[in-house]
Amino acid sequence: MNDSMIQMLQGYLQLATDRQQIITANMANVDTPGYHSRDINFQQAMQDVMDQSGTMQLEPATEEVQGLPERPDGNDVNVDRESMLMSETQLQYQMGVQLIKSEFHTLYTAIKD
Amino acid sequence: MGIFDMMGVSASALAAERQRAEVTSANLANAETTHTDQGGPYQRKEVVFSSAGDSPFQSVFHQMGSFGQPAAGTVQLTEIVNDTTPPVMRYEPGNPDANKDGYVAYPAINPMTEMVDLMDATRAYQLNASAISAAKQMVQESIDILKSS
Repeated sequence: MNDSMIQMLQGYLQLATDRQQIITANMANVDTPGYHSRDINFQQAMQDVMDQSGTMQLEPATEEVQGLPERPDGNDVNVDRESMLMSETQLQYQMGVQLIKSEFHTLYTAIKD
Repeated sequence: MGIFDMMGVSASALAAERQRAEVTSANLANAETTHTDQGGPYQRKEVVFSSAGDSPFQSVFHQMGSFGQPAAGTVQLTEIVNDTTPPVMRYEPGNPDANKDGYVAYPAINPMTEMVDLMDATRAYQLNASAISAAKQMVQESIDILKSS
């Protein structure tokens, strides 16, 4: 049983949740004038999780997405982009959950046999 | 931040879009209303959305202190404003609301604009409803970790 593996997967799930919330906020603000899409650098944040496993995990920094065309009301939310990212993040989350389940299954096998 | 905050953000958007659809429906329904309690024709109304909630730093700060703060990215309908476009005057001498020259003030409402606005609100509502479904599925998956394999 690899304890740090579970911890890392926990960090991964937390990160996926955080990103999903940012995407949700972008979708919610699709009609808010002047709103700019936000996102996190997933790779950078995952690297941080792996470097500092065990220490308290802070929320990753969000930044405005550059290069999206702005509507006349100053809003630059792209629904297609957000929908795609939402499905992607959902699948990433699913993968994390399956990996955690398999870790626990390994432990269960060791106990049973 | 958390999965349940996510649903809160989507729910705030659902509420805002529903109110927007309500205001638009009221505009459509009153497109020919020439007489109101305030006097004069019905005035077209518009909603104002704004983004509320904490910045990421503040949300961490509040998580450590108290609960009940709105999650980052929540949408709020801040106010409903009257459209100040002057009313359209139509010549209808027989109408009881006609002025001394026989003209009746009708609200400046274009049904096309309202229909498009209504469609936009419906689509945004659907988008956020599907976001809630996604969040629900994620919660369901986390619960499945508990199930013995």
